[in-house]
Amino acid sequence: MATAELDARTRLTLADANEDISRPISKPAGRFWLLLLITMALIGVGAGAWFYQIGVGLGVAGITHPVMWGTYITNFVFWVGIAHSGTLISAILYLFRSGWRTTINRAAEAMTIFAVMTAGLFPLIHLGRVWYFYWLMPYPSQRQIWPDFRSPLVLDVFAVGTYFTISLIFWYTGLIPDLAALRDKFTGLKSKIYGLLSLGWQGTVNEWRHYRRAYLYMAGIATPLVLSVHSVVSWDFALSIVPGWHSTIFAPYFVAGAIFSGIAMVITLMIPLRWAFGLEEYVTEYHFENMAKLLLLTSLIVGYAYVIEYFLAWYSADPIEQESFWWRARGHYAGPFWIMVFCNVIQPMSLWFKRIRRSLPALFVVAILVNIGMWYERFVIIVSSLAHEYEPGGWGIYTPSWVEIAILVGSFAWFFFWFLIFSRTLPTISIAEVKEHLAHGHSAGGEA
Amino acid sequence: MSRRPHDRTRDARTLPVQGSAGDACASGSCGCGSAAGAVDPSSANGNARASSSSANGNGTSRRDFLKVLGVGGAGAAAIGCGPPDFADTLITQLVQPEEIVPGRNDTYATTLGEAGPEPLGIHATVRDGRVIKLEGNPSFPTNKGRLSGLAQSVLQDLYDPDRIPNPRRRVGDAPSDASADAPAGGSYEDVEWDAALAAAAAALGQGGAVLLTGGVTGTSAQFFAAWAESTGAEHVAYESFEYGALRAAHEIAFGTAEIPTYALDRADRIVSFGADFLGTWLAPVEFAGRYAAARAIDEGRHAKFTFVGPRLSVTGSNADEWLSVRAGTEGLVALAVAHDVAGRRGVIELAAVLAPYTPEAVAERAGVPAEQIERLAEELAQAGAPVALPPGIEGQGPQATEANLAVALLNHACGAIGRTVELTDTPLRPSTASFDEMRDLIGRMNGGQVRTLIVSGTNPIFTLPRSAGFAEALGNVPNVIAIHPHLDETAAAAGWLLPCHHALESWGDAEARPGVRALAQPVMRPVFDTRSREDILLQIATIAGRADGFETESFSEYLKEAWRELLGADADSEDNWWLGALRGGGTHALELDASEGGASGVTPGAAAGSMAQPQEATGPALTIAAQSYLFGAFEPPAGDALLVYPTVQFYDGRGANRAWMQELPDPVTRNVWNSWVELHPDMAERLGVEHGDVVAVRSEAGSVEAPVSVYRGIRSDTVAIPIGQGHTHYGRNAASRGVNPLDLLPPVRDPGSGALAFSGVSVSVEPTGQRARLVSTQGSKTDLGREIAELVNVDEAREAIEAHELEHADTSEPLDTAWDTDPQSPYRWAMTIDLNSCTGCGACVTACYAENNIHTVGEDQVAARREMSWLRVYRFYEETEDDGFQVVHSPMLCQHCGDAPCEPVCPVYATYHNPEGLNVQVYNRCVGTRYCSNNCPYKVRRFNWFDYEHPYPLNLQLNPDVTVRQKGVMEKCTFCVQRINRARIDAKDQGRFVEDGEVVTACQQSCPTEAIVFGNLKDPKSRVSQIARGARAYHALSELGVRPAITYLKGVTHAEPAHAEHGDEETH
Repeated sequence: MATAELDARTRLTLADANEDISRPISKPAGRFWLLLLITMALIGVGAGAWFYQIGVGLGVAGITHPVMWGTYITNFVFWVGIAHSGTLISAILYLFRSGWRTTINRAAEAMTIFAVMTAGLFPLIHLGRVWYFYWLMPYPSQRQIWPDFRSPLVLDVFAVGTYFTISLIFWYTGLIPDLAALRDKFTGLKSKIYGLLSLGWQGTVNEWRHYRRAYLYMAGIATPLVLSVHSVVSWDFALSIVPGWHSTIFAPYFVAGAIFSGIAMVITLMIPLRWAFGLEEYVTEYHFENMAKLLLLTSLIVGYAYVIEYFLAWYSADPIEQESFWWRARGHYAGPFWIMVFCNVIQPMSLWFKRIRRSLPALFVVAILVNIGMWYERFVIIVSSLAHEYEPGGWGIYTPSWVEIAILVGSFAWFFFWFLIFSRTLPTISIAEVKEHLAHGHSAGGEA
Repeated sequence: MSRRPHDRTRDARTLPVQGSAGDACASGSCGCGSAAGAVDPSSANGNARASSSSANGNGTSRRDFLKVLGVGGAGAAAIGCGPPDFADTLITQLVQPEEIVPGRNDTYATTLGEAGPEPLGIHATVRDGRVIKLEGNPSFPTNKGRLSGLAQSVLQDLYDPDRIPNPRRRVGDAPSDASADAPAGGSYEDVEWDAALAAAAAALGQGGAVLLTGGVTGTSAQFFAAWAESTGAEHVAYESFEYGALRAAHEIAFGTAEIPTYALDRADRIVSFGADFLGTWLAPVEFAGRYAAARAIDEGRHAKFTFVGPRLSVTGSNADEWLSVRAGTEGLVALAVAHDVAGRRGVIELAAVLAPYTPEAVAERAGVPAEQIERLAEELAQAGAPVALPPGIEGQGPQATEANLAVALLNHACGAIGRTVELTDTPLRPSTASFDEMRDLIGRMNGGQVRTLIVSGTNPIFTLPRSAGFAEALGNVPNVIAIHPHLDETAAAAGWLLPCHHALESWGDAEARPGVRALAQPVMRPVFDTRSREDILLQIATIAGRADGFETESFSEYLKEAWRELLGADADSEDNWWLGALRGGGTHALELDASEGGASGVTPGAAAGSMAQPQEATGPALTIAAQSYLFGAFEPPAGDALLVYPTVQFYDGRGANRAWMQELPDPVTRNVWNSWVELHPDMAERLGVEHGDVVAVRSEAGSVEAPVSVYRGIRSDTVAIPIGQGHTHYGRNAASRGVNPLDLLPPVRDPGSGALAFSGVSVSVEPTGQRARLVSTQGSKTDLGREIAELVNVDEAREAIEAHELEHADTSEPLDTAWDTDPQSPYRWAMTIDLNSCTGCGACVTACYAENNIHTVGEDQVAARREMSWLRVYRFYEETEDDGFQVVHSPMLCQHCGDAPCEPVCPVYATYHNPEGLNVQVYNRCVGTRYCSNNCPYKVRRFNWFDYEHPYPLNLQLNPDVTVRQKGVMEKCTFCVQRINRARIDAKDQGRFVEDGEVVTACQQSCPTEAIVFGNLKDPKSRVSQIARGARAYHALSELGVRPAITYLKGVTHAEPAHAEHGDEETH
């Protein structure tokens, strides 16, 4: 146990926790407004590009025959993947009684919600006729036409929809005691709003008892979703016959990749957040080291999946499958492929060293690279597989257009916009859980 | 009542092929009948209805008023849901004539006389007064119902938005250099017809007039001659691709200066010394049918085909063997082969004459081993019915007559004359002005002897080499009048534009083959304010007071009188002879009963009588002629040889403004929308260039710059550039696109015939360091042995067919793939595609564009691989055991899989399997996830990336039976479901099932070799079932188990295909 945690334990009081964590809410700094303006401007750019695409046609994007899915679906899978770690950290680690989750679960859950909100845009953006998007929903139409439930895209609608709903409720459940604390802290309109949102929480023993039960059950419900959502998303690919997609390892491979990318995104967000809000005492190297270990574990799983994909292609003795994978590493998309291998498999191996795990700058770089690598992983899987399919005469190359890049940038802005709003309106660390730990004599981080 | 003279005549009516013989002219579909024809043609999309109602009586009755009101209301309602110009003429006639049924197509037989290399008998499909599709006339003896892509695209010529819409006069000076990029029409003013005709008549009155037309046959030729005589003008008929050298050679050899008939279908050994007879030479549609017959492996035939020449044209790409001789030595090789064959077959005199031309003597100059020449000679000598074809257009050099003579001698030596080569003394093609005569005309133009030049139906500024100086000479002619539908380069140099009807709006006829006279009738009302070409001339002559030679007021009457004479009908007899000729499309329809076997058309009955007696007549005459005629040295050009060749898309450039042709991938290079310089990979390596790098090609006459297209099928000392691009005018698709390689040709001629020398030019090639976009529409160059384009050796195929017949005697049960459908359904629609027959010409592709309202997307979007073609014809290389290669042309379209991967992935059931086995795409339901395309192993689904435009009047061509797709939806081949539905409805009305052969898809209909067969797989007796059961049948990518409805038949070659191994291939 490092001295920093010991220091923190000695210094922090319950009042400190209330004050420190809710401080950003009371007085947003100037740089907050600046960041908010930048994100809004970039959202405007992305939205403009989308409306342009709707008006003129999907042809303004770079997608073309034979690569009919490009960065839009890449982004969709990427953001769904990001959404994973939130629920993993809050639900699964909660069930496993991993105390260290306490200081990061709130931000991770928020990230989940916003990532799903971002991901959900992309199936719409990529539709040829987005104005008929509701045809993918099962609604009782007069003509009695239903969606085709065999289609993985319809499964997506359900999987992502369910995940979003449960994640939102789970997050909100955890927020209730903190909202009450904020209600008590503020006066006037703020107090009224937080009071309304806290559903009249009084902090009675009975309430706490029900609350704890509810939270536990929600965690139980959310846990299988972590596995199911990305499995279903992976079926978008695995259920097709495209060489490079049609593989039984896709569900676990994608789930591991999703957790991998999600953890990396949590690290990417928490390091600046901790610095900006001065939460060094709550979110410590200890927490980051734990996340780094998780990152290393999932990196190994992902690396294993890469190897197995190639092994299966070789073992299948199917020349078409072999050609597809051979070309993936050597053809037009070799660059993205090797970026993916470096970022996801090679550079995370530095996390075997404790010094790197506990060095925030190093960890930040590793996490950013993993984010990049995981985006490229989806890009490589989607694009390079489609570019070299069964029919050699139809082979072709895809390059994203400015519209796709603008929408990609806009999607990041959209995500950070919501995260910024969150960071200034809600406690980024669960006050109630921190206090619980402090009251039980643990450090804020839950080291026992 | 009508403005056009011929409209008044009761006789000049058009007749549908089906339907009653009655008042077809009143249909309004032809525009030359009673009521509907009465309107001003300038408002073709205008007020046909209004005038038809008011034409019923004087003044407006209450009933008329209500009609107009009702239609107006309907029109207003229609405007709300569609583009306005559609809404206006949704129904062209208020009162439909009895035999015209709204929503039903009418078919008119007519003829395309000047659309391409050969006259083609066609059936024009007309709906609501607009021609929407062209199909071959099945009873026509030469094309037998088949069409080329170029002929299919004539529709886009008719509806070309860049046509000259009304008479115009140039304002200001004509551009001194016709190639200067003047905005088309920018400096013209519209004039009335009367003024234009008066001006032309005044010019005619000045004397020194020349009428310059394209090569015409039949009554038009007769008319032009008569007109020239009556007006004192001179008539010059000019075609850039003419057969003067072939004529001259045959005159020397056999004393008959006409083009012989090559009966390829009877041959068992074919050798072409360069003639692109499946693409652009002489009669490609007819030849393709004959060639396919000679290669019918299932009927026990498969004539080996050798191509001799420096470059594999689309014809050469079908050959079993390629003797890649140096450019300009084709004739030399032919002599050597003839020498050897004459020796082997004991044609002593000929062997003696040709003594110096031993294979060893010519081998080095020709650049091929002597053994190859000897082997070819041996095979020809042993063959029962060999045939040799001359060098053709791209081989027409300064010794074209000698080269053609050499091939004629070879035909003589191997006994082909009279057997596979029928000599005739009737003209097969119009006798046109040679290059010599054109130079003479140019000289007179420069000399001021030509005061007035009337140009019609030809474009010499573009099709003559720039070095000939026609454009400059035109500047010395005071009056230049263009009677032409298009503002092409020559018309742009004219002072007066008198736009004439398009061929589909005109009366006319053509001579398709000796004894086969084809009749052309207008099939719709003129789209623009135009008049018939001959009528304009007649009116000019009348105004000028020089029409004494004519008894008729209009060309339609003239034509009918000519036909009355031709058919020997009584002047006062009933018109049955005329109606019959119109309905059938020509004399063949009338003489069918008289000449036995006329319908099959294989034996040209009329020509048989005039055929020269082969042996007696030609034996001695031949040798004397051959002895007296000096053979030149046949020296190949020093350095790299230039080869310019016509393409199936553009021919001599006339296809260049049709988007369908620009977007039809070149069958050989797969390039679109541009010009290119073909180089052998070795030469490209030597120059350090690759596909898309711009090179400068220089000759003594000029230079052009174009991007490189690397091609295996060309010698490494030859540079090939296609003819047809490089227009400066002509319209939006043609102008400022590519280069015209004729700029490289010096004005060199073949002395024997006066023909222009297209070959024999040496050029230098230099990289420019620049890159240009050269769009090619194919990924890999081979199918990597993935069971897409299969090719087998002929002996293997024969064995397999034999073994298969013993095994599969029972044909009473349908094939198992027939059951991938509703068991209750009597149909499982399916198709077979015979790769042994497919020549790669691309006619099916254009037919599909025309039938199914497929958009062209332009060069930018094709560069992004977004072409909309539902059907594409790949050119795959197959390696052979002797380290050579074979080309397989492989059509790929929706396979209508029984277990289709595209279906379960669609979230909204926009694509599903219908009870008749069709994989159906519901455009209205599609939301555009594009998953179906990802999951389609054949990659045949096309996505609407944008809303594509059909500028008026191209939209009039749209097939009303087929939805025009909007942006964001997926589309693909439907097996022409609208035709299936029509047949099913008809069958249901008559209480029966759809019969075999009743549904003909557009691609199948057009295919010149009948490679495509469509039908019902549930009927074990259907043609498609029988063919699909054959020994060569396979399914593309069968290992996927998607149970396609399309069965391919393996291509058959005399080469030994190596079994392609999987390896990494370059992508482009």
